[in-house]
Amino acid sequence: MSVGRDDAVNPLLDGLRIEPTPDPTTLVIFGASGDLTRRKLLPAIYQLARGQRLPAQFAVIGVARSAMSDDEFRNHLHASLKEFANLSAPDEVSTLLASRTTYVSGEMDDARLYQRLRSTLTQTGAPDGILFYLAVPPTVYGTVVKQLGAAELTASDAPARWRRITVEKPFGTDLASARQLNALLHQHLEERQIFRIDHYLGKETVQNLLVFRFGNGMFEPVWNRRYIDHVQITAAETVGVERRAAYYEGAGALRDMVQNHLMQLLALVAMEPPMAFAAENVRDRKLDVIVSAQPLLEENGSGANFVRAQYGAGWVSGAEVPAYRREDGVNPRSTTETYVALRILLDSWRWAGVPFYIRTGKRLPKRTTEIAIQFRRPPLHIFRSVSPTAIASNLLIINVQPDEGISIRFEAKLPATRMQLAPVMMNFRYGSAFGTPVPEAYETLLLDAMLGDPTLFARHDFVESSWALITPVLERWRASGQQDVPAYEAGEWGPRDADDMLAKDGRRWRTL
Amino acid sequence: MSAQAAALLPEGAVVAFVDLEATLVRIRERRRMRALTATVVVIGEAARLPDAAAALDRVGETGGVRTILISEGEESTPTVRVTDDSIALLGLAPRFHDNAVAALRLSSLPTVVWWRGGALDALEGVADLADRLVLDVDDPAEVWRRAIAHVERTALTDLRWTRLTRWRALLAHLFDLPDVRARAATVRRLTIDGADPASAKLFAGWLRSSLRWTNGTAIDLRQSAGDGALPLESVTLSADDLEIALHVRPSRTCLEASVRGGNIATVSRVVPLGDSALRALISEELGVRARDTAFERALAAALEMPA
Repeated sequence: MSVGRDDAVNPLLDGLRIEPTPDPTTLVIFGASGDLTRRKLLPAIYQLARGQRLPAQFAVIGVARSAMSDDEFRNHLHASLKEFANLSAPDEVSTLLASRTTYVSGEMDDARLYQRLRSTLTQTGAPDGILFYLAVPPTVYGTVVKQLGAAELTASDAPARWRRITVEKPFGTDLASARQLNALLHQHLEERQIFRIDHYLGKETVQNLLVFRFGNGMFEPVWNRRYIDHVQITAAETVGVERRAAYYEGAGALRDMVQNHLMQLLALVAMEPPMAFAAENVRDRKLDVIVSAQPLLEENGSGANFVRAQYGAGWVSGAEVPAYRREDGVNPRSTTETYVALRILLDSWRWAGVPFYIRTGKRLPKRTTEIAIQFRRPPLHIFRSVSPTAIASNLLIINVQPDEGISIRFEAKLPATRMQLAPVMMNFRYGSAFGTPVPEAYETLLLDAMLGDPTLFARHDFVESSWALITPVLERWRASGQQDVPAYEAGEWGPRDADDMLAKDGRRWRTL
Repeated sequence: MSAQAAALLPEGAVVAFVDLEATLVRIRERRRMRALTATVVVIGEAARLPDAAAALDRVGETGGVRTILISEGEESTPTVRVTDDSIALLGLAPRFHDNAVAALRLSSLPTVVWWRGGALDALEGVADLADRLVLDVDDPAEVWRRAIAHVERTALTDLRWTRLTRWRALLAHLFDLPDVRARAATVRRLTIDGADPASAKLFAGWLRSSLRWTNGTAIDLRQSAGDGALPLESVTLSADDLEIALHVRPSRTCLEASVRGGNIATVSRVVPLGDSALRALISEELGVRARDTAFERALAAALEMPA
């Protein structure tokens, strides 16, 4: 239950089979009438309440521009739970949750909104610990944080009166803007108060990667350049730009997926063992990985380490889909990349010479996110004379979504009189091994923010280092103007250039 | 369709192209491409095995366990029924129970024995082979007395304890409030109403051992009819100027906790009672690996209370 508290220990906690719950908390959601709140935050809060993961003293205050009464916001809560938490009618838990929910409306840049918020916090007897959740567009972060600071809502004068803030990606649009955003946050908040959410880190398999690597003795000895040939990290989506064109046009795949999610996966797979499973130990080791990455833009200006492309018309999952430039809200001459592939080399003792290939794209044939570690082949093929087939490399695949789990591919003898080899796959599926449901990432992360555990959140230096790595690529593309955006057919696995990038190394993308 | 996908489809299966992804997931699940996590041995009278088998079958649909069902009898060579998911030994004499478990359990993975009744001498034999012993009998007094002797070697629990998890968690939440904690030593009376006296005793034993009550706290256990589905109806702790209460809501699906008095603004909390189906209870137990010292202390305290 309560962690980090200074007074006496709760005597009833010993042996209790429930996870820690936070100290008394008021959750203030900016952007309370928006899509993220409706789809993710409110259902996550409800599930936490059902699972007894919220503190006894808990309140929600919704803040948004839309004029709404408390009761209307409560109806909004019930509607959200009906649609996204499979709750056909309000139950006792959602009713009690609604009774602890209030709403404050106003313009985000209006100081009077924050005075009203302050009054609501004091007049309703809301719990002292406050988590501000910024479910608003990134362009508004600065305004909200400045106003919270001016209204003295970010200052903590006692441990129980903690103040924290959760911000959603993107954390900036390049290195300069990320630094600017961090500087602004740090004007009003200490780093320990800031929780930059990356929902990939809330996924069980991503967390399990730490257990897999550092809770087992058999994998870490081979987790290095001596045994690993290369690593492929793939995040493939079948969907197109959907209703996010306004955002995506200014972002593209590199900013939307690589700078945050895929850099986090890279860090987790390549990091050195932390001294302890403690937030700063883990985050320090992850930072080392990003800092050790060689510049993507080579000294001679070569762009051999990155490929971008944009989807054209094609077929995905049996349906004909338009080209990116024909999607609603997209500039017909857009050069925004919907696909990116990178080749990253790390300057570290462990990984020198081992390429990490990263690819992500929209309108690819299959929705999947995975990390595939390809091992070196045995030094000698002693079965060559009796088995005509080549030996396949051992593969270790960490499936992040949709089928969370771990698979290992190894060679086995075909059951026959002759010695013939064939690759087989051994699978561990997270959702079926333990017979318990896997929690939604937002449940995990929201709870951690309330508990004050930053392990699964991005630190400012990680964010800036990640931007430092990819910003030169963005600048190179910007400089090239309207040129050099190859197309790939929707439903195909990206452009030929991406295949060529690996082919130059004598490798190829894994078949998914 | 990829060759990999086609190979996984049953012969003659027809699926819509757009549903292929979901179909693949279903096929993977059906083909049990999953990790095994434990052996579960159920021992009891023949009449008490079918519902346990059904519960484990449901657990097996989502989790990887090997099930061994043993009904007590007098045979040394019992009738054996084997399915994809379970091995049933019908009418096995108690003296052979430990042999059977030793031969049939998965190697190098935990063995959980779910004890639903039978000869207590056999219990001691299998307890030595088990990593975890889950008791589940109607009248537990004698089984509790025998089983507690094994706690140094075998983790011990009772499904009654599992049924009380939500009750304990909810009460513990209230003790997160420093003002409530500060009054823990001033509790003068504990009143528990419930249909199952053994559950009431276990809950009282837990509070007594956790809050270190001495004889200054009166414990009043009242048996009420209830509807048989819930072990307890209400728990009330009365201190000098404070009352802490838990009770089943009229809907019979939720539990409410409240604190009144002292300097504390009234705090009230409602949570679902949770799934009390046998499948859910044993599934929760299979998620526990460590020794439960809180249960052991609660059991020891319960055994000290008058019958």
